[in-house]
Amino acid sequence: MAPRQIQPPEPLPAQDDRLAPQDAFQWARDAMTARQWDAAARRWATLRAVYPNHAPVWIQAAVAYKQLGRHDDAAALLDEARRRFPSHAGGWVQGANVALARGDHGEAARLLAEARCRFPDDPPVWLRSAGLALADGDPDAALVFNRHVREAFPDDPGGLAQYAELAMEAGDWEEALTRWARVRERFPNLPAGYRRAADAEERLGRPREARRLRLAEEHGTDWLAELDAAAPPPVAPPRRRDGRNFIDLVLTKARLNLKSEANRNHLRYLWWVLDPLLYMAVFYVVFGLLLHRGGEGFVAYLLTGLVPFQWFAKTIQHASNTIVEGRGLMNQVRISPLFFPLVAVAQNAGKQTLVFLMLAVFLVVYGLPPTPHWLALAPVVALQLAFMVVVGCALAMLIPFVRDLLNLVPTGLQFLLFCSGVFYTLDTIPERWRDLFLANPMANLLHQYRRILLDHQWPDWSQLGWLALGCALGLVAVLLAYRRLEGVFPRVVIE
Amino acid sequence: MTAPVVISARELGVRYKRRGGIFRPTRYHQAFQDVSFDLHEGETLALVGRNGAGKSSLLKVLAGILRPDQGTLVNHGVSVSLLTLQAGFDGELPGTDNAVLSAMLLGYTRKQARASLERVADFSELGEFMHEPVKTYSAGMRARLGFAVAMFLSPGVLLIDEALSVGDRHFRRKAELEMTRKIHSRQTVVLVSHSEEQVKKLADRVIDLDRKGGSYVV
Repeated sequence: MAPRQIQPPEPLPAQDDRLAPQDAFQWARDAMTARQWDAAARRWATLRAVYPNHAPVWIQAAVAYKQLGRHDDAAALLDEARRRFPSHAGGWVQGANVALARGDHGEAARLLAEARCRFPDDPPVWLRSAGLALADGDPDAALVFNRHVREAFPDDPGGLAQYAELAMEAGDWEEALTRWARVRERFPNLPAGYRRAADAEERLGRPREARRLRLAEEHGTDWLAELDAAAPPPVAPPRRRDGRNFIDLVLTKARLNLKSEANRNHLRYLWWVLDPLLYMAVFYVVFGLLLHRGGEGFVAYLLTGLVPFQWFAKTIQHASNTIVEGRGLMNQVRISPLFFPLVAVAQNAGKQTLVFLMLAVFLVVYGLPPTPHWLALAPVVALQLAFMVVVGCALAMLIPFVRDLLNLVPTGLQFLLFCSGVFYTLDTIPERWRDLFLANPMANLLHQYRRILLDHQWPDWSQLGWLALGCALGLVAVLLAYRRLEGVFPRVVIE
Repeated sequence: MTAPVVISARELGVRYKRRGGIFRPTRYHQAFQDVSFDLHEGETLALVGRNGAGKSSLLKVLAGILRPDQGTLVNHGVSVSLLTLQAGFDGELPGTDNAVLSAMLLGYTRKQARASLERVADFSELGEFMHEPVKTYSAGMRARLGFAVAMFLSPGVLLIDEALSVGDRHFRRKAELEMTRKIHSRQTVVLVSHSEEQVKKLADRVIDLDRKGGSYVV
C-alpha cells in the first residue's frame, strides 16, 4: 500500500503578506460606522500595533476616543499624529475638534491657524475654521472661511453644505432652502441636501414639502424634477356620469359582451343565426310536417308568436340575476345598478335583430311577402323593448332582496308562454275572456305582431297606447325605486 | 389648514347585517360609528385600524358606493373615485377593449378612454399583447394592464385601498413610484394602509378607526 502522499503545508503568510492597510482598517471603520466607539477604539489600538506608520490608526482612534468623551486620550494621540505625520491635515483638524469639545477655543484657534498655513489646499481645514468661528459667535468670520472653501474647492460638497447650514444656524429657513437646492443640484447624491432641506421645510410649517424632499432622497432627483416639470396632466373624469355617458357605457358593455360571447365558440357569430334557425326548424318539423296541426299557416302563426316571446323570455331570464352577479363590480366602482339589467336587455336585443331577420326571410319564403304594414313593427318592437326593460329591471331589483324569487323565474316564464297565446289563436278564447287575455302585455304584443305579419293589418293603436302608458308608468316606478336603492344594493348583494 | 373643505363627514356609521331572516331576529355588526372629519383639498388622509374596523367600508361610503346607516356625508362638488384594478375585466376580450371598458366603468367618457389607450399600452409595457385576449395573460400582465388603466384616473378625491403589489419586481417598483407620486401631488387622497411606515411617509393626517369615533392621530 503506497504511503499517502502528504501535501506540503501552505506557507504561512509572510510578514509582508499581511492585509493591505486599507483593507485592515475597514475592520475598525465598520465599528465606527456602526457607532460602536468602544469597539472602534480597541480595534484602532490593535491596528496601531501592526501599522504604526499609517496616519489613520492615530487620527481615527482619536475620533473614537473623542466620541467616548476621553478627550485627554484623544488629544495625546493627536499630538503624536501631528508629530509623526506633519503632512496630514487630519491631526490638526481633529485636534481642533477635540479642543473645541473640551471648550478650549484658544487651543482650537491656534491649531487651525497653524493648519491654514500648513495646508491651504485642504477643504476640511477651512470648513473647521468656519465652524469654530460660528462656535465663537462670529458668523461673519465663518462666512468668510466658508466662501473660501466654495471658491477654492468647488468640487467639495462640504462648502456648499456648510453654506446652507450657516443659513439654518441663523434661522433663515428660506435662504437655507435655496442653498440646499444648490447642494442638490451640484451633488445630487448627498443625503443632507434632502434631509436638511426637509428639516427647513418643516420649520417653515410645510410638512408636505418636507415629505416630498424625503421621498426624493429615496427615489432620486429625477423624481423631484419630474414632479416640478408637471407630468402630462392626467385626465379628470366627469364628476358624475350623465345620462348620455351612461347609455354609451351600457351599449359599449353590451357590444363587448356579445363579442366576448362569440369569442367563446369556434363558430363565433354564426351561432346567432344557427341557434334560432335550429329552433325554428324544430317547430317546423314537429308542427308543420309531423303533426299537421292547426291547419294551413299554423307554422307561420307559431313562429310569429314564438320568436318575439323567446326574445322576451331570454332577456328576462338573463336580466333577473344580473344585479346579484354584478356584486363585484358594484363594490368597486360607483355605478347605477340599472346598468346591469340594461346591459342584459341591450345584449339580447343585439342578438335578436338577426333572429328577426331570419323570421322575415322565413315569412317571405313561406309566401307572406312584406307589406307597408311592416313599418308598424317599429313601435311594436320598441314597446316590447320598453316592457322588457320594466320587467327585467324590476326583477333584477327584487331578487337581491328575495333570492328565492330566482327559482320562480323559469316557471313564471313558462306560465306566461301558455298564457300569451303562442300555441293557440285568439278565436279559441271565449268572447268574454278575450279582454282579460289581452290585458296580458305579452299576449297583446304577440297579437299585434300577428296582425301586422300575418293579417297585413295595422296594429290596434288604442291597445298599443294603453300598453305604452303602462310601460311609461312602470318605467317611472322602476327609476324611482332604483334611485332610492342605489346605495343599498352593494351591501345587500354581499350579505 | 386653509385649503377648502371638499368632503365633510358627520357622525358616519355603517353596520352590516350578520344574520337573520324572516324567522330569526336580525343581528348587526357595527363596522364603525360616529366618524366625523373634514377632508381638505390637496391633503392626504390615512385610515388605519385592525381588520374589520371598517376602513374599506368607509372608503366605499366616501366613494358613494355605500350609503351610510348613520350620519351624513356632504360632498362639496368634487368627483370621488375608488382606485380599482381590473374593474370589469373580461378574459375573452383583448387588452384594448378591456382597457377602454375599465376606464369607462371608472367614470371616463368613451372619448377619454380611447385617448388614453396609447398611454396605457406604453405604461403597462404589454406591447403586442394589448391585442390578445386577456385570458392569455399571466397574472402579472393582467395586473399591469389594470394598474395602467387606473393610473390615469384623476378624480377630485382619489381613494386607495391597501398597498398595491403589481406584477414583477421591475414593474412593482415603477408602480409604487407612480403611486407615491400620485399621492404626493396636489391630488386629494384618502388612503387605507396597514404599513405604518407608508402612512408616516405619505399622510398628512391619520384617522384611527379602532378608537371611539375615529380620533385623529397626527
